[in-house]
Amino acid sequence: MKRHLIGAIAATTALTSLSPLPASAEDVTLTYTMWDGNQAPVYRQCADKFEAANPGIKIKISQDAWDNYWTTLTTSFVSGTAPDVFVNHLSRFPEFLTNGVMVDLSERIAADQVDMNAYLPGLAEVWNKDGQQWGMPKDWDTIALVYNKKMIADAGIKEEDLKNLDWNPKDGGSLEKLLAHLTLDQNGKRGDEPGFDKSKVAVYGWATDRTDGYGQTQWSFLAVSNGFKPIDKAWGTQYGYDSPALAETLTWQRDLALKKGFALSQEQTGKLNATAIFAAGKAAIVPDGSWNIGTYRDASKMEIGFAPVPKGPEGRRSMFNGLADSIWSGSQHQDEAWKWVKYLSGSECQTIVGKAGVVFPARPEGVTAAEEAHKAKNLDVSAFVMLATPETTFPFPISDYASEISTVLTTAVENVLLDKGDPATLLKDANDQVNGMF
Amino acid sequence: MKTITPQAALGYLVLAVFVFLSLLPLWMALKIALTHPSDVYTSAASLTPETFTLGNFLRVMGLPSDIELTASRASPIDFMLALRNSVIYTALTVSGQIFFSALAAYAFARMSFPGRDLLFFAFLAATMIPSMVLFIPNFILVKQLGLLNTFTGLVAPTILMTPFAVFFLRQFFLSSPKELDEAARLEGASQFQIFWRIALPIQKGPIATLGILLAIQSWNEFFWPFLVGRDASVRVMAVALSDFMSQTGRGNPDWSGLMAAIVLSIIPVITLLVVFGRQIVESLQTSGMK
Amino acid sequence: MMKAGSNVSRARRRRKETLTGLLFVAPALVGFLVFYLLPTLRAIQISLTDWNLMRAPKFVGFANYTKLLGDENFWHSAWVTFAYVLYNIPIQTALGLLLAVLSDRLARAVSLRAVIIAPYLISNVVAALVWLMMLDPILGLVNGFLEIVGIGRQGFLASPDQAMVSVAAISTWRHTGLTALLFYAGLQAIPRHLYEAARLEGAGEWTMFHRITLPLLRPVLAFVLVTSLIGSFQVFDVIAVATAGGPSNSTRVILWYIYENAFKFNKMGYASAISVVLFVTLILVTLLQMRLLKADQSDLT
Repeated sequence: MKRHLIGAIAATTALTSLSPLPASAEDVTLTYTMWDGNQAPVYRQCADKFEAANPGIKIKISQDAWDNYWTTLTTSFVSGTAPDVFVNHLSRFPEFLTNGVMVDLSERIAADQVDMNAYLPGLAEVWNKDGQQWGMPKDWDTIALVYNKKMIADAGIKEEDLKNLDWNPKDGGSLEKLLAHLTLDQNGKRGDEPGFDKSKVAVYGWATDRTDGYGQTQWSFLAVSNGFKPIDKAWGTQYGYDSPALAETLTWQRDLALKKGFALSQEQTGKLNATAIFAAGKAAIVPDGSWNIGTYRDASKMEIGFAPVPKGPEGRRSMFNGLADSIWSGSQHQDEAWKWVKYLSGSECQTIVGKAGVVFPARPEGVTAAEEAHKAKNLDVSAFVMLATPETTFPFPISDYASEISTVLTTAVENVLLDKGDPATLLKDANDQVNGMF
Repeated sequence: MKTITPQAALGYLVLAVFVFLSLLPLWMALKIALTHPSDVYTSAASLTPETFTLGNFLRVMGLPSDIELTASRASPIDFMLALRNSVIYTALTVSGQIFFSALAAYAFARMSFPGRDLLFFAFLAATMIPSMVLFIPNFILVKQLGLLNTFTGLVAPTILMTPFAVFFLRQFFLSSPKELDEAARLEGASQFQIFWRIALPIQKGPIATLGILLAIQSWNEFFWPFLVGRDASVRVMAVALSDFMSQTGRGNPDWSGLMAAIVLSIIPVITLLVVFGRQIVESLQTSGMK
Repeated sequence: MMKAGSNVSRARRRRKETLTGLLFVAPALVGFLVFYLLPTLRAIQISLTDWNLMRAPKFVGFANYTKLLGDENFWHSAWVTFAYVLYNIPIQTALGLLLAVLSDRLARAVSLRAVIIAPYLISNVVAALVWLMMLDPILGLVNGFLEIVGIGRQGFLASPDQAMVSVAAISTWRHTGLTALLFYAGLQAIPRHLYEAARLEGAGEWTMFHRITLPLLRPVLAFVLVTSLIGSFQVFDVIAVATAGGPSNSTRVILWYIYENAFKFNKMGYASAISVVLFVTLILVTLLQMRLLKADQSDLT
């Protein structure tokens, strides 16, 4: 039966490819799919320009939310209905590579002499494995602190001071002092005043989304600034979640919520994520990713500002996640798909995307355009941009079994933050389990 | 009228609590739909909208509205088309499934033929298959038949039967009196005539009930239409809702818009309930008087 | 009465009945074979392979099943599912029955039943969305109320200790009306004169419920129990929306585990193996339940 199944898939694919292509002048339609709905209209603008310059090629943009995106994509690989070009994420890169669903672009890059140094450093490299290029850099994201301007002002703090925060897991540094001061209980007492009631907090200093295994917006920037290394190397097989640096960081975060009451605890963080808590005026500072800038603008009436993540014992660090456009290996129109991908990663399209101010494109000129677009709306987003250098960032941990690993690590970190056991033990057990998968 | 005993008073109180709890979340959905997006979180814990606006309904229907979101949105979703598709999908599934399932259920309940119990047990067993595993093989089958993005493909797995419908109707055929059947048989009626003229009309109440249940189920069916019917021409309401929700990327969904779309999507089902609800009660009461 | 030739005519009648019976069943049978049996056989076959959807499946024999036995996540999910069934079924059935009897006795207006069934009109996904907003630990309506009455805020879906109960409550909220409606339909089939006779003999509400209603409702009760049990074992939508198996795996029910394996970890073979095990378990449980409830008999006939 399985042979039957696969045979049938092969046969249907073969059938489609054999079906008489309508004579000459018929247009080729490429499907391009992404998960971020905010970007779809912007890429439509790119597609319109591209179609005008390339008669005979039409672009169809489809979009699916993150949760559905990978299910739909995988099913469509199986049934032979996948999009010609899709936005790719590093967490899926190894799996897609093993299964041969992407096209190696290196020969086409060489033939067309595409300059791979035209992107922010590191963005092209992460999609390169052993000299083969599997995606063209699209955009990137970093983490910064989102703050409520009025609350900062009411607490008598200068916005300038937020730019020089430091943090360590022992006493929390100036970050913890700030969070204590920003936290207000129902009687109007601040967290650093005597008589503060941590069981009746009205405004929390710090709120994050529910944690996941990577802590991208929740704790990774603190842990790494404390010397934590999530994985030995890109494509590594040794995760480092047993590191004391991580246990210290998470213990600090746990106590910040449970013992001190300056942050929302895991148990208080529902599915309405930090954006909602912030918009409701229940939190003063939220660390979040650059992809959410627009969401904060929309969801809240208050004035918001962005500050860089605090300086840890080993300096400032943010996760640097680079997305790419990949071509499906089963695409019937790979030549046309390459033209589109080349255009997507080119200067014209990335500047258009930058001007829309929804993401930071991979090219520096696109980034400048995005910064200006935000400035026009009175938002200074330099806190995100200043960190986008190899020295101040660390990559998303790339390895096999990403989804499974993420599930194991999520549970371990949740348990630590919920105070379900000794942090070091919980993390070591999870880490052993993860490393045992390889 | 009767005097109200303390027992009955307690009963009414319990009923009132049920009514309140049943309606509260629906009211909250409507409340959020009437709230300006920037007030959704600040007023989340209140029972009434802080600011009243119809803008969410307007923008969901693609009409000009005073609500402007800075984050741009993907192409507007044609909810009216999705509504039409849902009606077609639901009508086909419900009518086909009830008719064919009733035929089978009647045979299972009233006729004896070799293999009947085994077959019925096989049907019953099929209720227990986690639908998750059926989706992929069925999806590939429908794809092979070239039925992706067609109504035929959408209704194929459910129009001929669902184990639930067969099981449900069999229970009612089992408990209805056999005398009428026998009388008709003596008068020379064919088996199908007996089924169509006598057995089926007696079960009008249960069938209406089943019809409503199936209609609601089909109306809310998500995963299967999501797999085989993504194209706007056959995209049903549930999938359209999910597509709408997914347009907001990785942040929170656009709650007020989402709830407005949801409220729009329940209106037809409520209408159905109001219309058919009377019919159920009437048929139930007539069957109750016998 | 009939003696002469009765054997012949009975045989003919039986043959004819067999034929009509099969004819009646035929369309449903086709649907069953093509869209249930065939994919089930495929699933069983896939369960014997290592298949990540994107590459050709590799035959591995019973490896997935042996792995299952030692997989603590599987056993955890089985336990969590069982706990959910324990929370869900008795409460939902009891509330449904109470509601049906009350409306049968006190308020037979259509509008009441229309209101009671209203939650069932919206999908699980939507129910979960609305409730997760209402149950939010900080912003939710319910916690706002609890704080006012002095009970204090609860984590609900965000708390590992309360998440499963909260999911069960959402599901009960959506399904109680349906259960009540089914019971109500069953109540209408009970001849009224039985109650009148009992009342004449001086029986109270409880005696009538216990002696008349409950026994005569048995077919419907069996139906409700069997379908809601099967449904509870397959709880998924609410969890997918509201908790995604968390927090701390506290709502990682078996169907969520199957989903994770099939669509997140792309382990189609393993996911199929779990499904087959779940399937077999459900058949056994149902057989047992049907035997206990004697579902095929109504005390009326």
